[in-house]
Amino acid sequence: MRWALALLLALAAGTGALYWVTAGFTVLTAEGARRQAVALEPRPLPDAPVIGADGRATTLLADLSADGRVAIVNFFYSRCMSLCLAQGSQTERLQRAIDERGLAARVRLLSISFDPRDGARELADYARRMHAQARTWQFLSFADPEAGARLLDLFGIVVVPAPLAQFEHNAAFHVVTPDGRLARIVDLDDPGDALQAAVDLAAEAGR
Amino acid sequence: MNMRGPWPPALAALAFYAVALIWRAPLTASMSTHMLVQIPLLVLAGVCAERAWRAWRDRAGGAGSSRRPPAWSYNEYGMPGLLFASLVGACWMVPKALDDALVDWRMAAFKVLGLPVAGWILGASLRRSNTVVKLFFLGNFCWMSAIVGLIYLDQPARLCNAYLLDDQAWAGNGLIALSILLPLAWLLVRIKPVWRFLNR
Repeated sequence: MRWALALLLALAAGTGALYWVTAGFTVLTAEGARRQAVALEPRPLPDAPVIGADGRATTLLADLSADGRVAIVNFFYSRCMSLCLAQGSQTERLQRAIDERGLAARVRLLSISFDPRDGARELADYARRMHAQARTWQFLSFADPEAGARLLDLFGIVVVPAPLAQFEHNAAFHVVTPDGRLARIVDLDDPGDALQAAVDLAAEAGR
Repeated sequence: MNMRGPWPPALAALAFYAVALIWRAPLTASMSTHMLVQIPLLVLAGVCAERAWRAWRDRAGGAGSSRRPPAWSYNEYGMPGLLFASLVGACWMVPKALDDALVDWRMAAFKVLGLPVAGWILGASLRRSNTVVKLFFLGNFCWMSAIVGLIYLDQPARLCNAYLLDDQAWAGNGLIALSILLPLAWLLVRIKPVWRFLNR
């Protein structure tokens, strides 16, 4: 009897620990947990000084509200030889979809570099390489590394230095509203879902 | 110093725990050492601490205090304890646990406190269990470790935000190696009784 009770207790404690680690058996990775947490509760973003590809200095929140469109944000660095290229071509497809469906008045693309080596010139070069149209797809990089790190933290982006002066980082489409809220995180393989989420949020905001 | 006394395992426990904590930065810098060095060290610290405690109690309680089986036990055949230890082991196969242990103090506390406790329970339970029960839980842990290792190897994407893809493959290889070496080591330790059984 005691033995059965102890067995049940051990089972409950162990399963409880697993339940806690996997956020109620729903996620196995920190990336999954990040996406789920944002979907359940959108996060207000802290501000960070940024520079654009045209060299203008502003802050992220000022840029978001001045533009007024819902932004699909992703993070990159211009020297990237792997993931950002895949991410870039997905974003290019997204740009085409926005243009074809006439959504450019409501939704835009925003790529933010976390690499301190990326200045206005590198951003402009990268934009050219990606065939970005200035109206639909804009590029920013952090002017202040500390504020940038705080922002990455809030987004849940972890940048790990890798060999050959590369970085590895988690990549996704982040849907951000003009009032500076991170509302949804969508997998890179589902650009259509990111666009739909952005359109829905724009409709909610009454644009 | 008496080699059978409580001191050798106590010192080993302290050493394992100190190494796991003092070198936590280099040990958690890569996924493979995090999973296959730091976490096992923390478990071993618990196992050794339990041995030290038992040796100390035996000495304090005179002859046979642990040799005389208690009238009843909450941990009969060690099965509740082994079940608990297995489930804690499963927790640390989840990539999110490794990521969170680096950034979330609660998961870090679960690691540095929970793993030695699980190790203590594991040691105490192994002593109470018989060969059949041991084999069941060892086999269970090994297939889990092997499958998780294969998944780590097979994933084209990173499972941990904090670790590189190459390192994930190393951790996968390590888990598969663990699932082969652990039963081999057990067999080597138990070779005498197995040999005796075969030559009956």
